[in-house]
Amino acid sequence: MTIPAELKYTKDHEWVRIEGDIATFGISDHAQEALGDIVFVELPEIGREVNAGEAYAVVESVKAVSDVYAPVAGEVIEINEELEGEPEKVNTDAYGAGWIAKVKITSDEAVELMSDDEYTTFLEE
Amino acid sequence: MSMSDMNRADTTFKYSGTVGMQHEEPLLFEHAHEAPESINLPGVDGEISAELSAFSRKQAANIPGLSEPETVRHFVRLSQWNHGIETGFYPLGSCTMKYNPRVNEQVVRLPGLAHIHPDQPEDTAQGVLELMYELQDWLGEVSGLPHVTLQPAAGAHGELAGLMMIKAALDARGQSQRRKVLVPDSAHGTNPASAALCGMHTVELKSGADGRIDLDELKAHLDDETAALMMTNPNTAGAFESDIKEICQLVHDAGGLVYGDGANLNALVGVARPGDMGIDCLHINVHKTFSTPHGGGGPGGGPVAVNDTLAPYLPVPRIEKHGDTLTLVNACDTSVGPVLGTPGQIGVYIRANAYISAFGRQHLHKIAEDAVLNANYVLHRLKDRYHVPFEGLCKHECLLTDEIQNKHGVKTLDIAKRLIDLGFHPMTVYFPLIVHGAMLIEPTETESRETLDAFCDAMLEIADACEAGDTEALHEAPLKPFRRRLDETQAARKPVLVWPE
Amino acid sequence: MRFLPHTDTDRTAMLETIGVSNMAELFSDIPGEFHIEKGSLEIADALSEAGIVRKFTKASEKNRNATNSRYFLGGGTYHHFVPAVVDYIISRGEFLTAYTPYQPEISQGTLQALFEFQTMIARLTGMDVSNASMYEAATATAEAALMARRVTRKSRVVMAGSVNPRYRSVTANYLSRLDGEYAEVDMGRHGTDLDKVIAAIDEKTACVIVQYPDFYGSVYDLAPLRAACDAARCLMVVAFSDISAFALIESPGAMGADIAVGSGQSLGIPMGFGGPHLGLFTCKQKYLRQMPGRVCGLTSDADGKRGFVLTLSTREQHIRREKATSNICSNQGLMCTAAATYMTQMGDAGLGTVARHSAAALHSLVSQLPGHVTAAHGAHYNETVLSFADQQARDRFLKAAQESDIFAGIPLEQIETAADGRHLLVATTEMVEEADINDYLAILEVAK
Repeated sequence: MTIPAELKYTKDHEWVRIEGDIATFGISDHAQEALGDIVFVELPEIGREVNAGEAYAVVESVKAVSDVYAPVAGEVIEINEELEGEPEKVNTDAYGAGWIAKVKITSDEAVELMSDDEYTTFLEE
Repeated sequence: MSMSDMNRADTTFKYSGTVGMQHEEPLLFEHAHEAPESINLPGVDGEISAELSAFSRKQAANIPGLSEPETVRHFVRLSQWNHGIETGFYPLGSCTMKYNPRVNEQVVRLPGLAHIHPDQPEDTAQGVLELMYELQDWLGEVSGLPHVTLQPAAGAHGELAGLMMIKAALDARGQSQRRKVLVPDSAHGTNPASAALCGMHTVELKSGADGRIDLDELKAHLDDETAALMMTNPNTAGAFESDIKEICQLVHDAGGLVYGDGANLNALVGVARPGDMGIDCLHINVHKTFSTPHGGGGPGGGPVAVNDTLAPYLPVPRIEKHGDTLTLVNACDTSVGPVLGTPGQIGVYIRANAYISAFGRQHLHKIAEDAVLNANYVLHRLKDRYHVPFEGLCKHECLLTDEIQNKHGVKTLDIAKRLIDLGFHPMTVYFPLIVHGAMLIEPTETESRETLDAFCDAMLEIADACEAGDTEALHEAPLKPFRRRLDETQAARKPVLVWPE
Repeated sequence: MRFLPHTDTDRTAMLETIGVSNMAELFSDIPGEFHIEKGSLEIADALSEAGIVRKFTKASEKNRNATNSRYFLGGGTYHHFVPAVVDYIISRGEFLTAYTPYQPEISQGTLQALFEFQTMIARLTGMDVSNASMYEAATATAEAALMARRVTRKSRVVMAGSVNPRYRSVTANYLSRLDGEYAEVDMGRHGTDLDKVIAAIDEKTACVIVQYPDFYGSVYDLAPLRAACDAARCLMVVAFSDISAFALIESPGAMGADIAVGSGQSLGIPMGFGGPHLGLFTCKQKYLRQMPGRVCGLTSDADGKRGFVLTLSTREQHIRREKATSNICSNQGLMCTAAATYMTQMGDAGLGTVARHSAAALHSLVSQLPGHVTAAHGAHYNETVLSFADQQARDRFLKAAQESDIFAGIPLEQIETAADGRHLLVATTEMVEEADINDYLAILEVAK
């Protein structure tokens, strides 16, 4: 299981990459492993305003379903449309090709974010 | 190969197994010949109106007709890929898979019960109305809740109708702030889904260490927003909620009502009545308790029985008796309205009436007695080899887990699939959610001791195999049936629900 | 008791294994005050099998039925021919006594039949996908409204007043406990006025529900409504009550429906006093994941052989609980098998004949009506409204017809409570012969 150092993590096992005022969202390797084979990702609409901690997407495996919460607030500017045809990318490359959405950060509102070390400790607990 | 060699070669001789003549059969759409001409049909072979002709369908629907012998063979072959109660033991917990008497199938097909229209004049349909009225009465007696609607088409539909009535009663008391429904974490998934559809929200109650409702947890959640507690008794762990009186009292004192999920009524029939215990409203799954066939998923029937408090709110149409005449009453100011477009799943209720008729007042309690006897028998034969999460008596079903087999790398799913190779339908797996690796076994009253022993032997054989480390067959199972484990991920990722033209 | 295999010897031995001394001990966890005396319930005495047959035969004989009377009754339930093979197939224990196919390895029969059912229903309705059925048409209509609200994230539902009043009242009832507006559009006549329906659409509208052929049997072009729904970005929901129509007339799919729902009772299922019937639910592929109910999908097994499973179950109550697309937990599985068998036996040719004969019977009747009875104008499939001078004239006719073993129609106000008492909802199927129509017309003359 990998936990890249350049990302931030939430208690609900989302990751976020912040570059300037753009944030990229996804779910962690731990999350995809717990869910099992992902069969569907319900993506948000472009232009939607999401609050930090708001469910913006849904990830489904055969027998489980999980809301995905936004780590920071923003306006959705891009979604990973490839997941519509190949949701398994969340399994195979959670931090790369399995990204879910990009938002333009609109406020400094955010849920509690952890560094890679903190997330590792969190998972161990 | 001689006959005796063949017998020796068949290691599953002890159980019926699933070897046998099973034919591959293509989809209807793959039969390669042209459709035969239309079967002879009666009626008016004349002109249709010019106005209607203007709307004629431009492209044929492409429904592939087969001749009668081919149609029969196609579906008979399909049927042979199915396991039914008539094929073998079917111990699905919370599903009450009992024998479906053949006489019920015979009477429901009588022309005066099958070929009648719900809108024909009532004086020409008194026979069916009498049977329905009688069933309402009997369900009222069995549940201790005298007012019954036959409208709901299934258990989940009954939940919706029941919650509608509860909501209406609370609104009539001027308490429309009561929208919170308490649901134990062991509840069926339909409970929260039905509450949501009724415009209410659910709060989950954490079960106590014994798998039962924890009174302190209940008290902590009761307030002036509580509309109802939805509970299943016996619960989905197969245990009777012995605090039932106090539970109902607490909810009533807090101003709420108690909804009973009647999925597990088989444990109580003729022995004790939910209405006497303080339940206000109960749906009854007649496809469970009263033997109506499950049909591969339905039709079911979910009549709801209520006490005097909720009676004014029963759905319409209602079947009432005025003098000697039975009538469908369609309008009533206090009613929650219709929940179905027809009077109900009448054919299902005809069968339920027949099942109760066969037992009658003298024998009805034997349903619950033998059901509970069988479940406890299975529990006692397996309890030393499988983990029992909650000690004590069970009612009509018993709950085990895979905790012991887990140590050998074997999971509930493996055990379930191995049972298929040994000739049994698996038990309910991974439900209830309050224990890990649940196996919920409900044998029902219509199973013989011989069958129960064979099933228990099979379970013990699986436990032996785990302990001996001989687990390969368990992971590979099932090997015998017509198809092996199916790829559910593929089905859900790229859904193909219709055959392309 | 012949359904109970145990002898008292068995019971005693089993109680011993369990370690209790008698049956009562098994129920000792139920407080004593709730135990009832055996045999104390007010339920009839037990009957033998012969007694059961006698009881139900007696009840059956009190009901007039379609084997001894001529039926011109519709309104959502129709007397079509049921081939013997349909009842034979659904009587087979492997279909009849199986549970929901949650263990697909030993349920491939039910599953393949469901897959074939879904395919044929999609083809007949002209829609992309079908689920594995709902209870019946009224609840299917309500579920369609709920689904449209999920798809569009809007909450207002517009319902044409020419939809079967029972579908309307169940839908209104389902919606009444949720936020959002429900608007019914009065048609002012026995037919559908699309201009009025279209005028009721606004930007908050999630869907418009119409029936086609409508409750009064009339058939009309849905193109204007399709255009209006596109403009308002709402869904077009088409309900139907006799699916046999679509072997003859343009399907809801061809008319542009986003969701089409209705009754499949006409596909080999007896009237049965209203149930069990078969609710159908179909939609466009793109809305698939918002569909309620079970669906069966194609896949392969561990050896790579083709097989079928219930799929997309994360939409359903047992996984998504209060966020599920519906609370529905069953389907009408056996009725799906009946419909699949029926359609296989019929094929395009048989279904076409059923539809043509059904429509031809109505045309024959309507075109020969005497002057004192009028029928609604325009294209009708197999159902229409006949109007008399007053209620007395109508009821005189109904009574005379019944004396000649003809159920001549449903008094309209019996289903549409606001209707005045001079109308009759009349339906025909292939079970109506020319001679029945001649008798019908003769009684109309006599009972004038």
